[in-house]
Amino acid sequence: MAENDIGLVFPAFITDFRDDPSQCVPGFNKLFSEYLEKASFITGKELLAYSLESDPMQLGELSNQFASYIYSCTCTDLLLNSGVRPAMIAGYSMGIYAALYTASAIRFETGLLFIERAYHSILNVLPQTRYGMCGVIGLSEKDIREIAALHNLNLAIVNRNSDYSFVVAGSSFHINVFQLKAKEEGALHTRPMATAIPYHTGLLSEAAKELSETVFSADVQSPVIPVISVLRQDRISDAARVREEVVNNIFNPFNWFETQLKMYQSGIHVFTECGPSQVLLKNSKFMQGSGKFVRWDSLINKFL
Amino acid sequence: MAKITEKTRIEVREIVLAFFAEECEADKSQITDNTSIIKDLDGDSLMFLELIEIFKKKYNLDIELKTIGKYAVKHPIETIGQLIEMQMLIIEHENRLLELDK
Repeated sequence: MAENDIGLVFPAFITDFRDDPSQCVPGFNKLFSEYLEKASFITGKELLAYSLESDPMQLGELSNQFASYIYSCTCTDLLLNSGVRPAMIAGYSMGIYAALYTASAIRFETGLLFIERAYHSILNVLPQTRYGMCGVIGLSEKDIREIAALHNLNLAIVNRNSDYSFVVAGSSFHINVFQLKAKEEGALHTRPMATAIPYHTGLLSEAAKELSETVFSADVQSPVIPVISVLRQDRISDAARVREEVVNNIFNPFNWFETQLKMYQSGIHVFTECGPSQVLLKNSKFMQGSGKFVRWDSLINKFL
Repeated sequence: MAKITEKTRIEVREIVLAFFAEECEADKSQITDNTSIIKDLDGDSLMFLELIEIFKKKYNLDIELKTIGKYAVKHPIETIGQLIEMQMLIIEHENRLLELDK
């Protein structure tokens, strides 16, 4: 495995814990606990009660994002300390904060601040409607748009994972109707996501404005490791672009498929997901020549 | 309409078992027709989609995913045996799969 072909990818939320890394990665528990303690102190959240045995879906949305960020930061600290030198990184949706931390563009504390500020800005401006998101597998983008048009559903396709795997956002009612109609039209699977926020839609543009006040006054540096934008699939090269990306990420759709493809075409042939499960690995299966996925704990053990 | 031979049947079975053994890190010899894809193997719809793509390429199939999705709503799959049977029908009938229900 060449050092210069490793790419790190970061999930947005924790959905499950497949394996306990403390069994095979020395120092994981200690560092994870230290970060939890630090984050609890900074955010005032009772994150200390959180453990790897907790059900991440019972955490609540904000705490889940914090936990995901902390887990990812722990992974990357251990990876970098073991000698892994990623050539490129990208964060899936709200995984951007851990990606920027890994690239030394923001400090650990700044990532927590952005997560919290984004969440509260969204709650401040979102209309009093119930919202949701769902994943849909087995339909094309054209199929999805046709279903939405046919049934007058006000939905946005907010991410493409592959030609037949998308994420859709809108009001809860429209999402529920969409799921029923999508199944009728031949979707292999639809899955509601554990969020009440329509991330990556124009509904959050005002929240992004609120967030920008925090982002533009925060200490942000140019990434020392190339970070690929999930919005534009180009390199986020300096501090100004980092700020722009953090703000735009809230209310613009992204394309994970093209992002991973861009990484692959740039020479990344080994992908490592810095999170507790392999959700991004599953999404990547449909890229031609998608490279090899190596678990982050296995990667550490290869380098130690 | 493709003719399903014994060779095809063996081939499909071998592909399905090898696929789930690798994807789910399971012992291939322990996977039987009665193995539950979700409960026993922790499989999911993305795996199903990936498997369909494998068969589409291997047998050069003319079938839309949504045709399979519509068929699967009426004929839900829970076990490896059911999945193998459905793959056989897909290879045999391709886009005319839904005509089986008429």
